[in-house]
Amino acid sequence: MENSQNIKEQVKMIGMDFGSTTSSAMIAVAGVGMNSATGRMAFSAPEIVYRSNVEFTPFKGAEIDASAIAELLDTWLEKGDNIFSGGVIITGLAALQQNSVHIAALIKERIGQAVIATVDDPNLESWLAFMGCAALLSRHFKNETLVNLDIGGGTTNPAAGQNGQVKTTGCFYIGARHFHFEPGTYRLINISEYGYSMLNHIGVTNEIGDTLCAGTLNKILDLYIEALKAIARGSLAFFESDIGQRLCQTSFILPPNVDSPLITFSGGVGELIYKITENEPIPSTTFYGDLGIDLAKRIISDPFFSKQITTIRPENMGRATVYGLTLHNTEISGATLFLPDTSALPLNDVPIVARLSMSCDLSDLLNSISVVAQRSGKACIQMLPVTDSEGGALPASLQQIKTLGDRINQALATLTIDLPLVILVPGNFGKALGNYATDWGKSSAKLMIIDEIPDRNAQFVNIGSPYRGVVPVSFYGIY
Amino acid sequence: MKKIIPLKDIHVPVPGPDEVYSFKILNEIFYFEGLKKLLGAADISKAGDRTTDLAPKNAMDREAARAILASLTLQYLYDNPLTADDGSVDSVMRAGYEIDLELFQSIAHMTMGDLKDHLLASNGTRVAAIGLALTPVMASALTKLMDVHELVYLPGKIFRPTKARTLIGTPKTLSFRLQPNHPKDNLDAISMMVYNDLAMGMGDCLIGVNPSDGSVDNIAAMLWHIDKLRRETGAPTQICVLGHIKSQLTALKQGAPVEILFQSFAGTDETLTGEFDVTVEFLDQAVETMKNEGPLKDIADQFMYFETGQGSEMTYRKHNGMDMATCEALCYGLCRRYDPFMVNNATGFIGPETHLNDFELMVSTLQDHFMGKLLGLPMGISPSYTLHSNSHLEGQQMAVQLATAAGANFFMDIYLGTDRMLAHFVNSGHDDQTLREIYHRNPAPEFLQWAVQKGIYIQHTDGNVERGPNWGNPRLFIKSDLEFQRLHEATPNAPGFENAGPRPAHKVQEVIRINQSVGREAVHSHLKPELFTGFTFREFVSTAIDHAEHLKNPEVGSKLSKTDLDSLSAEGNDVQIIITDGLSAEAVHHNVPDMIPVLMDGLKSRHYSLGEPIVTHFGRVKLAECISDVLDCNVAILLAGERPGGDALSSKSMSAYLVLKLKDEKARKAAAIYSEHEKIRYEYTLITNIYQGGLPPIEGGSVVAEKVMEILENQAAGNRLEDLLKAQKSV
Repeated sequence: MENSQNIKEQVKMIGMDFGSTTSSAMIAVAGVGMNSATGRMAFSAPEIVYRSNVEFTPFKGAEIDASAIAELLDTWLEKGDNIFSGGVIITGLAALQQNSVHIAALIKERIGQAVIATVDDPNLESWLAFMGCAALLSRHFKNETLVNLDIGGGTTNPAAGQNGQVKTTGCFYIGARHFHFEPGTYRLINISEYGYSMLNHIGVTNEIGDTLCAGTLNKILDLYIEALKAIARGSLAFFESDIGQRLCQTSFILPPNVDSPLITFSGGVGELIYKITENEPIPSTTFYGDLGIDLAKRIISDPFFSKQITTIRPENMGRATVYGLTLHNTEISGATLFLPDTSALPLNDVPIVARLSMSCDLSDLLNSISVVAQRSGKACIQMLPVTDSEGGALPASLQQIKTLGDRINQALATLTIDLPLVILVPGNFGKALGNYATDWGKSSAKLMIIDEIPDRNAQFVNIGSPYRGVVPVSFYGIY
Repeated sequence: MKKIIPLKDIHVPVPGPDEVYSFKILNEIFYFEGLKKLLGAADISKAGDRTTDLAPKNAMDREAARAILASLTLQYLYDNPLTADDGSVDSVMRAGYEIDLELFQSIAHMTMGDLKDHLLASNGTRVAAIGLALTPVMASALTKLMDVHELVYLPGKIFRPTKARTLIGTPKTLSFRLQPNHPKDNLDAISMMVYNDLAMGMGDCLIGVNPSDGSVDNIAAMLWHIDKLRRETGAPTQICVLGHIKSQLTALKQGAPVEILFQSFAGTDETLTGEFDVTVEFLDQAVETMKNEGPLKDIADQFMYFETGQGSEMTYRKHNGMDMATCEALCYGLCRRYDPFMVNNATGFIGPETHLNDFELMVSTLQDHFMGKLLGLPMGISPSYTLHSNSHLEGQQMAVQLATAAGANFFMDIYLGTDRMLAHFVNSGHDDQTLREIYHRNPAPEFLQWAVQKGIYIQHTDGNVERGPNWGNPRLFIKSDLEFQRLHEATPNAPGFENAGPRPAHKVQEVIRINQSVGREAVHSHLKPELFTGFTFREFVSTAIDHAEHLKNPEVGSKLSKTDLDSLSAEGNDVQIIITDGLSAEAVHHNVPDMIPVLMDGLKSRHYSLGEPIVTHFGRVKLAECISDVLDCNVAILLAGERPGGDALSSKSMSAYLVLKLKDEKARKAAAIYSEHEKIRYEYTLITNIYQGGLPPIEGGSVVAEKVMEILENQAAGNRLEDLLKAQKSV
C-alpha cells in the first residue's frame, strides 16, 4: 500500500488582496505531506509560480468596476487551474457591501469554491501579514518578540509574535490614503473622516482643494510616527487620548515584559521602506496620490525605527498579506480522517458554535450539538486539548477518545440533524474518534471528524474538498 | 590516460584442481582444502567469514594458514587463479591479471613471506611499482600476513594522486567527500549541509549525494542543484550524484553535469552482474563515454568513482567460496582497470552480518586501505557503523585515526556524522578537521587557495595552515537570516552550528549522542511481554538462538522455533495478530499498549474470528507466513519495530504488515496475474511510521482495523487492493 502519510503530490494555492488603493495576487505550489520535524501534515517547500503586478483597484466612483475586475482576474488566473486552497481578502472601499459581493461572485465564477472571500477582517489581516513576512524571521530570533507593522492605505495592522507564532493582533486607522492628493502635488482631492480628525487634533483646518503646507505635512507625519511608535512599544497612553481612541479599530496589547521588540514592516508603506533602503528607484513624492512615500521616508529617518530597518529584513516586503493568504490561510487536516461521506464537502462559512475540551461531559456536548441542530446542521464544534498546569496541550489518551466517542454516539442518537456533524479535533486521532462515535461505522448518524486542526480562535471556518485524503480548512472572523 | 585492454587479451593460466595444504604446530596438524579456504583461515575471524565457514577456527588454525601462505611463491599464486562456482575464471578475476608482467617476472620466485620483508625494506617508489605487478589474490594473501603496524606503515609510503578539478592524494594532503544525503532529497537541506561543511574546509575531493529517488530526472535535478552550489561558492571541486551508472549516463546524455561517474563494485562477476546490474563490457564503454563526453574531459585525468567494501558478495551469497578480504581485493583489481579518480571503501556499512564489532571493523578498514593502495588505487576510507551492530562511535574514530596514519587519500564528510538517509554514521567535518590538525595535512592545493581567500583557513609564510576566522561558519555562504532559518528548518537532526576549536560544541555533540543512544537502546532492547497488559497472548520464540544472532541473520527470525511450531495446529481464524521485536523492541513497547485495544475493538465490531495474539521474540517480517501456514488464518497482522536511525523519536517507529493468505483460489489467480508471479501465496499491505511523531498508535489501530476489513472483504492486499478500491469508488 502507498502510505498515505507520505504524499508527495503538489497542490496549487492562490491569494488575492483587494484593498482601497491597490490589489494583487500570488499563486504558489507546494507539497502536501508530513513535516518530519512536527509530525503534522503541512505544506512543504512552497514555490511562488506567479506574482501579479500591484494594480490600482479599479473603481467607477465609489463602486467597483466589475468589468475591469473581471479582466484583472482573468490575467491572474491564467495559471490558476486546479486551485486547492487559498484566500481572498477584501478591505476598505473594496469591501463596501455591493463591491465585495461583486468581487466574490466574479471569483466564484472562475474558480468555484476553492477559495473564499473574506471581507474586512482586520485581525485576520494582521495575522496574515505577520505569517506572510515575519514568521520565519521570528523563528530565527526565537527568544525575542517581533512586531510586524502592516501599513497600507487605510489601516496599520500590527501583530506581535514569538518563535513564529502570533501572540496578539490589532488594527488602527493609520494609513497613507487618509489624505488623497492630486498625484505629484500636495493638493488635497479627498480627506477621510480619520484624516479630518487628525487635522483637528493638530489644530489646522485644511479642506479639499487646499494644498498642504510643509508645516502641516510635518505635523501630520509627526502624528503618524507618534502613533506607530506607541503601537510598536505597546504604550497604551497614546491610545487613551482622544485622537488615539479615534484611530483605534481594535486595540493592540504587547505581551508582558517586552521592552524593545524587533520590528518589521509590510504593506504598501513597508514595501517602500525597504525599497528606499535598498536604493531601489521609487517614484517622486505623492506619485501614488497619498502620503505613502513621505511616511516611508519619515519612518526610515526616525532613530527609533531606522536601526532595525537596515539589519532586519522580512520576507515578501509589502506583499505580506497576499503571501500570507496564499500560504498560511489554510490549515491542512491530517491524512487519516473520519469522512464516510465526502459529498457534503466543501462546506463554507460554517460557524464554530462551540469550543469544547476533550474531557467535556455529555451535557456540554448535547447543548452544543443541539445548537448545531437548530442551524440545520451548518455549524461545527472545535475540540480543545486537555492542558497541563502550565497550559501546555496534552495528547489525548485512549480513554479520553473512547469516552468522547461514546458521548458523541449518545448525543447523536438523541438529536436529528440534516447535515453531517462536523467536529474539528487538534490531534491525529480523527479516524479512531469517528469509529468509536459510530460503533465502527455501524451507526447511521452523520459525522465528520477532521483532525490535526489547531484552534485559531475564529468565528467561521471553511472546509474544502478532500484531495488525496486531506482537506484544507481555513478560518476567518478571528477574535 | 590509461588504455583499456580487451578482457580476452589478458592472459590467465588455466586453473587446476584444489590442493590440500597442511601445517604442523607442535603435535597438531592443520589441513586446508584449496587456496580459497587457506586464504579465509589466514585472516582474523570476521562475522561474514564465520557465516560462510571460511573464518579460522582458532588462533592456531589461523597461524598455520598464515605460515602456509607465507611459503607460497608469487608464481604459484599466479598459476592458480581462483574460480567461480562453475569452475570458470570470471571477468573480475581476469581483470585482476592485468599486471606489469616484466616486473612480476623479476619477483615471481619470491615467497609471500619474502615479498612482505622486501616491501617493508623498500622505499615508496619500489613498493608502488611492485603493487602494479601483483594480482589481487597476492594482495589478499599479503594482507593476511601483516599486523596493524605493518598495515599502517607500508601504505604510508605510497602515494596515488589523481586529478579532476582538484589534485588529491599528494603527500601532506588529506581530502574529503561531502555526503549531504537527505531521506527525501530535500534540496534546501542539501544546501545547508554543503554550505556548512564547505565552510569547514571540506569537500575538496567531491560533493556527492546518494539520491533517495534514483530516477534520471531526480539525478539530473540534484546534479544541477549541486552544480549551482559549486558555482555560487566558487569552491574548486567536482560533483556527483550516486545513482545507478545507467541512470547517470542517461542524465549525462541529456546534458546534466555528470562530472564524476559513480558505480558500486563487487569482487565476483555473479554479484556485479546479478546484483549491481553491470558487466565489465558495459563499464568499459561507460569509461570511454566519460573520457569523450564528460564535462571535465579537458581538465581531468580521471573520471570514475567506485565504492566497495568487504561483505557485499557474502551478503548476496555470491562469494564463490572466497573470504570477504579476497573478494574485496578482486574488486580492486577491477577498479584498477579503469584508473579511477577515487575509490571509497565503505566497510561496516552493511552491519553485523559482515562485521560484528569495532575490532573487526578496524582490521578490515586497514586491510582494505592497504590492498587498494598497493594495487594502485586512490583509496579513501569510510569506516561506518550502524546501530544494530556492536560497533560504536569510538571504534569508528579509532579506525579513522589509523587509516589517516596509514595515508588514506580521503574520507567521507557528513554534517555531524549522521547519514540522515542511510541510517549509518561516518566522519563529520569536525572529525575531518581534527585529523588534518593532528596529522598536519592540508586540503588539495586548489581548494586550499580558495579556502584561504574565503577566510576559512590562514596560511602563514612558512606554509603552515590553521583555521581562519570564517572556519565552520555557514553564514559565510548564507548571508540572510531568513535564508539561513529556512535552510536550517529543512535539515533534520541539526541541533546547532557552534564549534569548540575543530570539534563541535559540547551541547551540539550531546544532542547527537543522546539521539544515537536512544536508537541503539531500541535496537538492542529485548522484548518485554510483561508490558502488554489488558489482553492475553501466547509467547513464542523464533529459531534465532539469541538476540545477537537475530540481529545479524534475518533468516533465523523468519521461522518459529521447532518446539513452538509443533505446539500449533490449524485454527482457521479470520485474523491473527503477531507482535515481534523486529529491529526495535522499544518501538513495540512504545506503540502496542495503545494500539492493540483499538485494533481489537475494530476487528470485534465486525465479529471476525480472532486467534489469541502471539508475541514472538527475535522475529522478522516473514515470520507472518510461517505462522499463517500453520494456523491457516486469513490475515496475519504482524507488528514489528523498524531499524532506528539517528533521530530519537523515529527510533520508536513501528510497522504493521497486513499479510493476506490467498486461500481463495479465485483471489490467488487474480493475484498471480497481477504480480506476474505464478506461485504467489501471500499479499502484503504495509503501514509504516506508527509512532507518536508519525501515525500515533491509537489512530494507527483504527487505520489498521479499517484496512484489514477492506482486505478481508476484497480478499486482496497491497497495490491490487488499492486498485480494486479505486475501481469501486469510480463506479
